[in-house]
Amino acid sequence: MDEDYDVIVLGTGLTECILSGLLSVEGKKVLHIDRQDHYGGESASLNLTQLYAKFKPSKKPDPKLGRDRDWCVDLIPKFLMSKGELTNILVHTDVTRYIEFKQIFGSYVYRSGRIAKVPANEIEAIKSSLMGIFEKRRMKRFLEFMASYKEEDIQTHQGLDLDQNTMDDVFYKFGLETGTKDFIGHSMALYSNDDYLTKPARESFDRIMLYLQSVARYGRSPYIYPLYGLGELPQGFARLSAIYGGTYMLDTPIDEILYDEAGKFTGVKSGNGVARAPIVIGDPTYFPEKVNKTGQKVIRAMCILDHPIPAAPDVDSLQIIIPQSQVDRKNDIYIAFVGSSHNVCAKGYYLAIVSTIIETDRPHIELEPAMKLLGSTVDVLMGISELYEPKSDGTNDNVFISKSYDASSHFETTTDDVKDIYFRVTGQPLVLKKREPIEEEDR
Amino acid sequence: MSSRKKTLLKVIILGDSGVGKTSLMQQFVNNKFSHQYKATIGADFLTKEMLIEDKNVTIQLWDTAGQERFQSLGVAFYRGADCCVLVYDVTNSKSFENLSSWKDEFLIQANVKNPDNFPFVILGNKIDLEENKRAITTKKALSLCESLGNIPYFETSAKENVNIEVAFDIVARNALQQELENDAEFNEDYSDAINIHINGEQSGCAC
Ligand SMILES: Nc1nc2c(ncn2[C@@H]2O[C@H](COP(=O)(O)OP(=O)(O)OP(=O)(O)O)[C@@H](O)[C@H]2O)c(=O)[nH]1
Ligand SMILES: [Mg+2]
Repeated sequence: MDEDYDVIVLGTGLTECILSGLLSVEGKKVLHIDRQDHYGGESASLNLTQLYAKFKPSKKPDPKLGRDRDWCVDLIPKFLMSKGELTNILVHTDVTRYIEFKQIFGSYVYRSGRIAKVPANEIEAIKSSLMGIFEKRRMKRFLEFMASYKEEDIQTHQGLDLDQNTMDDVFYKFGLETGTKDFIGHSMALYSNDDYLTKPARESFDRIMLYLQSVARYGRSPYIYPLYGLGELPQGFARLSAIYGGTYMLDTPIDEILYDEAGKFTGVKSGNGVARAPIVIGDPTYFPEKVNKTGQKVIRAMCILDHPIPAAPDVDSLQIIIPQSQVDRKNDIYIAFVGSSHNVCAKGYYLAIVSTIIETDRPHIELEPAMKLLGSTVDVLMGISELYEPKSDGTNDNVFISKSYDASSHFETTTDDVKDIYFRVTGQPLVLKKREPIEEEDR
Repeated sequence: MSSRKKTLLKVIILGDSGVGKTSLMQQFVNNKFSHQYKATIGADFLTKEMLIEDKNVTIQLWDTAGQERFQSLGVAFYRGADCCVLVYDVTNSKSFENLSSWKDEFLIQANVKNPDNFPFVILGNKIDLEENKRAITTKKALSLCESLGNIPYFETSAKENVNIEVAFDIVARNALQQELENDAEFNEDYSDAINIHINGEQSGCAC
């Protein structure tokens, strides 16, 4: 470790590992350290022992749950949009060769105490139980508008200007009812509150488009998910980094972060070793004095089930979104549901992770509408995370800090953060290139 | 790692830094050897088609990419391995003493169903070096292999291409055996893994 590097990265969460991988591929000499003995930081997947040690230290996992390492329980429940930016990065960096993905079977939305599949094309719209007969036609017209919209062909805009009109204007234009707006805005555009309605429609339009294109890609839902859990993602990018020369040190406490007189980062000290670099990238837990609380706290309940979701008995994996308006809240509640067919738990079991942004001082009560949908549980483990963001952009101290993983149900905000940090570190926007075949000649 | 339908055997190679893991793979797959010492950079996995008992198999040899240097190989690296090759350097007794730790580490991390039956192969590498440099005798090595559960043992030279073909033939046979047993158990699990392509087209188009 007593060496000079181009970049030191602290924490092996997904954001840090993607950046480490990208920078190593570009030829930067990277030292990547984690104080924990496993990869993933806040975005790890834990085995049973790790899970109980973290969330229920007083209790041992029930032996009937089977082998410890058959379990990979995500700390942050998210799915990948199959046409999203993370998929794009995975493909370009060839990290797909280390990870196998499966579809998530369905995307569901909660309405009046029941759940229904989110219709993602005209045919599904016609069949959907979410809308009455006339509303189905209006929804069909809206989807046709989405499908035929071309930026350069004003004819296809149907008189709407996505930069001037609000999303509410767009809904009004197609005469869509409140309940329909709700599932479009929350389960397709994936907004967790209603602020988007009064903003220019462009962003909502893009998000709905991403949803529709992601569904079109594999058919069942817009989501894909790695076998063995999300913790495979940081490890895949860490391998990429290592292959391009990145040095990995897990289980290595950081005793001191070193700065010069001007307050610029110079290196880190661990035990008797000092590693130096002009730049550091890290997650908020390594820089408590350089981050602010965002004010948002997320509650996540990891529920172990021995049956599928009662309302969708044939489905091995799904997302359920409970829009805020349905349960008189300000923020949506999400359920991410996966099971042994995605290799995240022992045969015959399932994991449902329920999450939301906390609004009261009795957060577990807030999850009740979701818990009702799950039916009986074998065990429930709960955690509350405070969300952090960096106080400054790193130009003064060369310390580039990632944001906490938010409550959203996908990785789009994570990849935004990756691109943003990449830009601040390198001064260049991230341009993804296909990974070069590895040169073997000069070895 | 992707498709389980064609026979793909994942083999991982473990051992201390500098024992010749990358060199052995390179010699076996590309018939190349390089003297110049450089900690492994850019080595991912190498694949080679082999014919084992009339069956075409693809053997995929996974290099540690240097993550082993500070004990930082994550669990993902070990997933789905069909055989594990443990390498030491016959002139370096420390690398020999670490063999059983590497084996234990593998069994813990890889979460294999039947640890007692999982196939390992041990290679004592660099036998081309002068006799007086040798730190571990064949007898000593064989006795360790026996005590670790009758693990097949070969003495190799990646430099002179000694015993590499025979060693990897056994690796492939044992991996195939393991894969067939595994497959019988979890056939369906791998049935609908998807293939992510850059243009997003699904694989298996009939045109
Ligand atoms: N004489 C001799 N040298 C060898 C042999 N195999 C490897 N070497 C040399 O030993 C050194 C290390 O070999 P590598 O293949 O890079 O070792 P490694 O196990 O991949 O090392 P790491 O990547 O650091 O874990 C190189 O200088 C090789 O040229 C061999 O059979 N005989
Ligand atoms: Mg090597």
